Amino acid sequence: MVGPLQSEVVLLPERIADLLGLGGVAGEVVGALIGAFIVGNVMLAMTGVAGPWAKRKITAAFTDRIAVDRIGPFGLLIIVADSVRLLSKELIIPEGADRPSYDLAPIILPASALLGFAVIPMGSGIHLADPEAGLALVFAFASIASISLVMGGYASNNKYSLMGGLRAVAQNIAYEIPLIVTAMSVVVFAGSLQMSTIVAEQTSTLISLGGISIPAWYAFVNPFAFVLFLVANMAEIGRNPFDIPEAPTEIVAGYQTEYSSVYFVLFYLGEFLHVFLGGAIMATIFLGGPAGPVLPGFVWFVIKIWAFFLFTQWCRSAIPRVRIDQLIEIGWKGMLVLSFANLVLTAIIVGVIA
Amino acid sequence: MSVELPDTTGVAEQSPEELAELLGDLVIGREEHLNAPGFVIKPDTVVETLRRLRDDAGFDHLSCVTAQEYEDRFESIYHLTKFDDRTQEVSIVVPADKENPVSQSANEVFRTADWHEREAYDLVGINYDEHPDHRRILLPETWQGHPLGKDYDQDQPQVVPLREHANPLLEDQKAEGDSETMFLNIGPHHPATHGVLHIKTVLDGEQVVDLEPDIGYLHRCEEQMCQNSTYRYQIMPYPDRWDYISAGLLNEWAYARVAEDMADIEVPEYAQIIRTMGAELCRMAAHFLALGTFALDIYGDFTALFMYSIRDREKVQNILEDLTGQRLMFNYFRLGGVVWDLPEPREEFFENTRDFLDELPTALEEYHDMMTSNEILQMRTVGTGVLPPEVAKSYGATGPVARGSGVDYDLRRDDPYGYYENLDWDVVTEDGCDNYSRLLVRMREVEQSARIVEQCIDLLEDWPEDERNIQANVPRTIKPDDDTEIYRAVEGAKGELGIYMRADGTEKPARFKIRSPCFSNLQTLPEMSNGEYVPDAIASLGSLDIVLGEVDR
Repeated sequence: MVGPLQSEVVLLPERIADLLGLGGVAGEVVGALIGAFIVGNVMLAMTGVAGPWAKRKITAAFTDRIAVDRIGPFGLLIIVADSVRLLSKELIIPEGADRPSYDLAPIILPASALLGFAVIPMGSGIHLADPEAGLALVFAFASIASISLVMGGYASNNKYSLMGGLRAVAQNIAYEIPLIVTAMSVVVFAGSLQMSTIVAEQTSTLISLGGISIPAWYAFVNPFAFVLFLVANMAEIGRNPFDIPEAPTEIVAGYQTEYSSVYFVLFYLGEFLHVFLGGAIMATIFLGGPAGPVLPGFVWFVIKIWAFFLFTQWCRSAIPRVRIDQLIEIGWKGMLVLSFANLVLTAIIVGVIA
Repeated sequence: MSVELPDTTGVAEQSPEELAELLGDLVIGREEHLNAPGFVIKPDTVVETLRRLRDDAGFDHLSCVTAQEYEDRFESIYHLTKFDDRTQEVSIVVPADKENPVSQSANEVFRTADWHEREAYDLVGINYDEHPDHRRILLPETWQGHPLGKDYDQDQPQVVPLREHANPLLEDQKAEGDSETMFLNIGPHHPATHGVLHIKTVLDGEQVVDLEPDIGYLHRCEEQMCQNSTYRYQIMPYPDRWDYISAGLLNEWAYARVAEDMADIEVPEYAQIIRTMGAELCRMAAHFLALGTFALDIYGDFTALFMYSIRDREKVQNILEDLTGQRLMFNYFRLGGVVWDLPEPREEFFENTRDFLDELPTALEEYHDMMTSNEILQMRTVGTGVLPPEVAKSYGATGPVARGSGVDYDLRRDDPYGYYENLDWDVVTEDGCDNYSRLLVRMREVEQSARIVEQCIDLLEDWPEDERNIQANVPRTIKPDDDTEIYRAVEGAKGELGIYMRADGTEKPARFKIRSPCFSNLQTLPEMSNGEYVPDAIASLGSLDIVLGEVDR
């Protein structure tokens, strides 16, 4: 069942190479570079909108406020103003900072998230690479983030940063396992780790209700796994109620306490990229990827990842933060058990039916 | 009178003579304070005296310790009262030698004496024997002299080189004999300290091993400012600045009450009702903010709850602005009444206030939906920051903190003033002793305050027009007799806000001592937090609802 679907996928670098009339190695290299440039910039642009503007507006809507509305239509030009403001600030390096790792940490965080987008099918032919182990690869990229948080936390020579870094590791280890094990249950359905296959498998019709066919998105096929994945994903990207590595009222700003100016921007950017990457993974393996009626695939893809972003902001406005020990307990004693139960049950059901 | 008095059976009421008999030889002299009988004792019998009074006579609340310097001696006054019967008071006066002022510490009997005596040493210069932690508390350790002492030179420069300051950043501090712990400074600049508070914390991983609040960053010696001001007009604006988070009228009442009792001024009933209404509006505003900032500590961001509570506080602020003309520093009370009547047109004022009160149940319902019934919040707050009632009493905790520990103590009922005893309302207590109980107490107190305001509005609306007397006849200058002493307290937003005043025959007080509820409440923080996780310590700090302006004065 894998073969015929796979051959249909034409990746973005190939298309670009075709358009430019280049072939061979030169075409692959140029096509890949231009493709990566486009995808990277689209994602960075979305983050640019999300960070300084959308986040404020969404939070304001949840909390009875107005938020930015002075510069430009709907305050949109605050994005420009904020970029200038943040970039023109002084870059303060604390005394005793562990230099190479202090400088590398803010670069690794956004880079790891951007790498992840390489294997995500975004619809409308925007898909950079489609390796056979795509799903494993995207989780591998995403979890590089915790290295960056530890580096930043440790290298800052600040106790709050250190605590933030330690919390980040504890949290990521505790939630990465349920996250991946839950994703495995999807692999059991799809029979492949390849992203294009997982998306293609979800296009079939689950049931038809009065002429409207409901697609076999894995969120509908296995809602339990979807919820598990959603929760683990929130912990993985460190959003409320699991924003423990930052925990502003407890440990100031966690691992990013000492970062200012460009480094701060990079951290901030990296976090939002990871939120979007989390949304992209969810969209791909549970919500049919770029599938959707009427609108082009890419638009549906963007809508889905923004819906996830909206969800994280909603939680941020409404849900209290759990304590670090409670978080670890939920992770190891709750999520892990449930995710394995889900995997075993899925395997049994799929094995019996298929 | 609908408010039930607490059950005082078992705690017999003692006459001054009976107390004198109980203390026996310990008493070397008698004084008469306006609020209580005073017994003079020797400086080395403090513990013995206080223990006898606590164990045999039931005086279990050391409300305040006042220190002062006379021409010929130093003096510490222990203001004792009972949690079960606030109207019973006794002052223990402990004179100390002028040349070598040493007095025994009361810390062994009342834990609250720890900080109070440190403050007395810091500002007045009395040394306390057997004190476990005899250091300055409000001023830096390097400060020269004691500002409220008689020989203090105000113009003396206080330039101390940086290296002589205790700089917490310099040395890597660890708990003694234990290399597994980490020392962490929380504050003075930290998102959760609600002001400039510095907490020295020793951590074992994420758990608090030891914690010590370091205060004084906002200290500006309000006591001395009041001592340099006249009773009649100049002191009244200062109380607004102690608990500056919209509890202004409650603070003003503390001064109004003590000065009116000292100068024997009778406040007209109409003014009392306005005062009661204004004070309860202030209490609601203060509790709304406490709610919001507590949510901030638990939720960790400027969440919906914070904004909602600010929104509701804003409504109260608008009403208070209509009433007093100010939004923060009201300066609305005067000795003998209030400065002006309700705003015209009165109907509009009543209507606005009623609108607010009508919407309040819906708003509170929303808070309960989002906060108290939230499972994560319950996970975070139930059973954390536990303060047993006995410990709370020993530390002199009052207000919502004590009531959250099941201590049924509220000055509005137990030591009635204003118009409270004629109104129908209840004292709220919760028995959980934890952060959740303190939160619940505040939320339910808002309901009770609303009840009080509603009744006040009804009364004010029907008040005959020609009897609206907002101020008693008070002389232009007030000069109480020499050596008149009084200690009086009111129920502020955070607890028992007391003032001790001593007159010296002039129009300014010779000693003005503020008993701040936040000061005593903050002292319980180590009791609540040791052994708990950092986030719980932060939550406990939030549940204490301190205002640094009042802690440091």
